Amino acid sequence: MAGPSHSESMAPPKPGRTRTAPPQMPSSWWGEKRIRTYLLFDATGILYFLIGFQAIRLTNALAAGPAAWKAAIESLSSPLYIAFHLLCLVSVVFVAVRFFRLFPKAQPPSIGPLKPPPRPVIHGMLYVVWIGITFGLGGILAGVFF
Amino acid sequence: MRALLLKLEPVIWLLFGQGILIGTMLLTPFIAVVGLLVPLGIVDAEALSYDRAHAIATAWLFGVIPIGQLLLAALLVLPLWKGAHHVRSLLIDFGGGERDGAVGSLLYAIALIGSILGVMAVLAL
Repeated sequence: MAGPSHSESMAPPKPGRTRTAPPQMPSSWWGEKRIRTYLLFDATGILYFLIGFQAIRLTNALAAGPAAWKAAIESLSSPLYIAFHLLCLVSVVFVAVRFFRLFPKAQPPSIGPLKPPPRPVIHGMLYVVWIGITFGLGGILAGVFF
Repeated sequence: MRALLLKLEPVIWLLFGQGILIGTMLLTPFIAVVGLLVPLGIVDAEALSYDRAHAIATAWLFGVIPIGQLLLAALLVLPLWKGAHHVRSLLIDFGGGERDGAVGSLLYAIALIGSILGVMAVLAL
């Protein structure tokens, strides 16, 4: 997918005597390791879209009554759904690990007189909350608690 | 279209950011238990019986906060905004920004419609 990329961005203010070719995107730009990870992070958006609508479908089934709920839960045993949910779980963990690493770096140096905690502390706190919610809510859903 | 998206950017970024942060934190146990552990038989299906699932989804905290419905609404709505924004970004990377106004508006419209459907589903419980 080679093509001109902002062809005027590198142009000198006055044209020189030597003509230069406009900058080109390398055809394999999407295959570079750092770009690939960035693109994968964005691509998880597709799965977030799908799992969001899947959760809405299940909630509608819950609202419709016991028969609709039972049918909806039974449909999740299909191998296609299992594979989809496995892919979603991998994506969610990938997003969490990458985003939690970026989050501390994106904090402002101070908010009024308050300064945020050191970056490793914010990083650690995010993991504590994530693991806590995963086991807490997961335990409730799985019938371990209540 | 792009001018409207720029005006709405603070709201879109708020929902997108919470979609990554809160959406991811809520999706992890939801996918693990509802999408995998129960269908694979690792967790007894009785854990997600209608009565139990309905009781969890409509649980109240201290009798004043509808915690079940609030968490469920966040689970249904926020990932859609993370999805819309990141798919928009992906399409700009691969297809350029010429059609970003129309494409971005369409994606956010889908997220908005999904959000309304999600909130309606939660309120119907």
